[in-house]
Amino acid sequence: MTDVPSPPPSTARRGISAPDLLVALGVTLLGAALLLGSLKIPFGINAVVGPRVFPLIVSVGMTALGALLTVNALRGDRAEPAAEEDTDPDAPVNLGAAGIILGGFLLGAVLLPTLGFVLGTAIMYFSVAYAFGERRWGLMVFVALAVALVTYLVFTHGLGLTLPPGVLKGVL
Amino acid sequence: MDALHSLFAGFETALTPLNLLWALVGVTLGTLVGVLPGIGPALTVALLLPVTAKLPPVSAFIMFAGIYYGGMFGGSTTSILLNTPGESSSIITALEGNKMARRGRAAAALATAAIGSFVAGTIGTMLLTFAAPAIADIAVQIPPSAKFALIMLAFVTISATFGGSPLRGLISLFVGLAIGLVGTDLQSGQSRFDLGRPELLDGIDFITVVIGLFAIGETLYVATRLRKDKGSVIKLEGGASMSRQDWRRSWKPWLRGTALGFPFGAIPAGGAEIPTFLSYTLEKRLTKHPEEFGKGAIEGVAGPEAANNASAAGVLVPLLTLGLPTSATAAILLAAFQQYGLQPGPLLFVTNGDLVWGLIASLYIGNVMLLALNLPLAPIWARLLLIPRPFLYAGILVFSTVGVYSLNNSVFDLFLLALFGVLGYGMRRFDFPVTPAIIGVILGPTAEAQFRTALQQSNGDFSIFARQPLTAFILIVVALALILPPVLRARAARRATAAP
Repeated sequence: MTDVPSPPPSTARRGISAPDLLVALGVTLLGAALLLGSLKIPFGINAVVGPRVFPLIVSVGMTALGALLTVNALRGDRAEPAAEEDTDPDAPVNLGAAGIILGGFLLGAVLLPTLGFVLGTAIMYFSVAYAFGERRWGLMVFVALAVALVTYLVFTHGLGLTLPPGVLKGVL
Repeated sequence: MDALHSLFAGFETALTPLNLLWALVGVTLGTLVGVLPGIGPALTVALLLPVTAKLPPVSAFIMFAGIYYGGMFGGSTTSILLNTPGESSSIITALEGNKMARRGRAAAALATAAIGSFVAGTIGTMLLTFAAPAIADIAVQIPPSAKFALIMLAFVTISATFGGSPLRGLISLFVGLAIGLVGTDLQSGQSRFDLGRPELLDGIDFITVVIGLFAIGETLYVATRLRKDKGSVIKLEGGASMSRQDWRRSWKPWLRGTALGFPFGAIPAGGAEIPTFLSYTLEKRLTKHPEEFGKGAIEGVAGPEAANNASAAGVLVPLLTLGLPTSATAAILLAAFQQYGLQPGPLLFVTNGDLVWGLIASLYIGNVMLLALNLPLAPIWARLLLIPRPFLYAGILVFSTVGVYSLNNSVFDLFLLALFGVLGYGMRRFDFPVTPAIIGVILGPTAEAQFRTALQQSNGDFSIFARQPLTAFILIVVALALILPPVLRARAARRATAAP
């Protein structure tokens, strides 16, 4: 575990970290929004404990915890990013890669009903492989289609699930 | 012996050729997916849920038993051959096991992990066989208020033990509870937090949350911080095996690890991390080779691995008898039961005896299969670690998509999946543990139901939580678990500053 790659790394350790403060405020706001939503739930008829009691407890709890986290963040607490099997804590953070994956995923999801499961997931596969730095285009296209196709066949023919064939209808 | 009798009936269920086949499929898939880096046992079970969708309940749970133990076995292979572990309970295995592997003793490290897991798993399953029916007999009498208190205990211990700080754990828990609130309230028919979307009326499926937080979150997180060097997977020649001396040094740590792991799994105290650490400390103190610790001591692999697997068996005791999950994996198993319309708890042994005992019997069978699968086939599993990361993570994403999309054939679920993926990324970046959120999503609705049932029985009198002795006692323990650690830490800090 090394130092946090959040800006600015060189200043005093107890300086307030803006991202941490934003997250803490976000949790508090989420709690407040939940509280507003809970107050809109009717009391319920003929019930000793209606449908709004538990949401109220959860939202008050969340707001309070968010406030505590905000206090801690103002005192200079900062979160240590998790260390995973394939991550390098010293590597520069590449948010673009996550954006590509997310974009490819949403594109594939939107096109999935019309293009079909195979092509939709192939788009997702391709974008993840690209975001992870793979550049052998032919191989990427081939593997993306192969994995999507095999998955489709195993789940529809092998396990009896229904997935949309899309443009490949009749072929599969 | 009533338990023995039921167990034999369970073996009759589990030993039919078809169910044996499902058990074999389960352990193979469980090991296969469990070995892949970035996939822990909880995600293994969640990803493989759709595979069982069309099976009858008994076969499905026999397969789950295999997946559950298989995922644990697979995880230890990863942590020995690759240097950093996926789940916190394998940190210790990685610590000593990877050092052993680096010194050319990978085969012995894998063997002591596999055989130790087998020994611990079998003893743990035996303890489960006899403890579970006895506890179920007592648990029938637990009133709703005390069940609510027990869930609170699980909430607090899990939030406080996973992750860096109890505060972050609790926030994660509350996020999970909030997600669990979405949808129609079953008792009143009132819809809550549906944001006007008809898709949300049925609530958010836990599979979407689990796969989003674990698989998508992990993929996004790893993509932003990818390790550029190839990593160093240790090559393995031949199967896992160990010498006579290794056996002599391993068998006592196995037994001690089992003794530590099972009870810690069985009480809601936060899963397998604590017993593996305790086992490691214990072996370090008892060993005749203290100089090897930190450089690859076989005792440091044998003990913690046994503790890890024994606690996996222990976790099933509160899950089956009280419906109380004490780890993320157990919470997913609980939700899987609920999908089949089964409510784990004391009555399950009466109403679905064949299923429960079939499940327990297949845990024994799965353990034997895993030993046979892991010792000679270790080199094949090891090769999985060499899959290039772009193709591995892309595959994980596609399987996640199938798992979630096949729930309702709805693109809306995929948008939710992306949303939870971003949330999972944020939780990793800002050090919020994921497990409490999972427990909150799955157990939150049950907590609310018990809370309301208790108050309905007392006609809205909140003092039921203080007057019912068992409830009051558990709630005091909950309060202590919340208050004591920060107080102790503050005192320790004060003493540290007071000392010159």
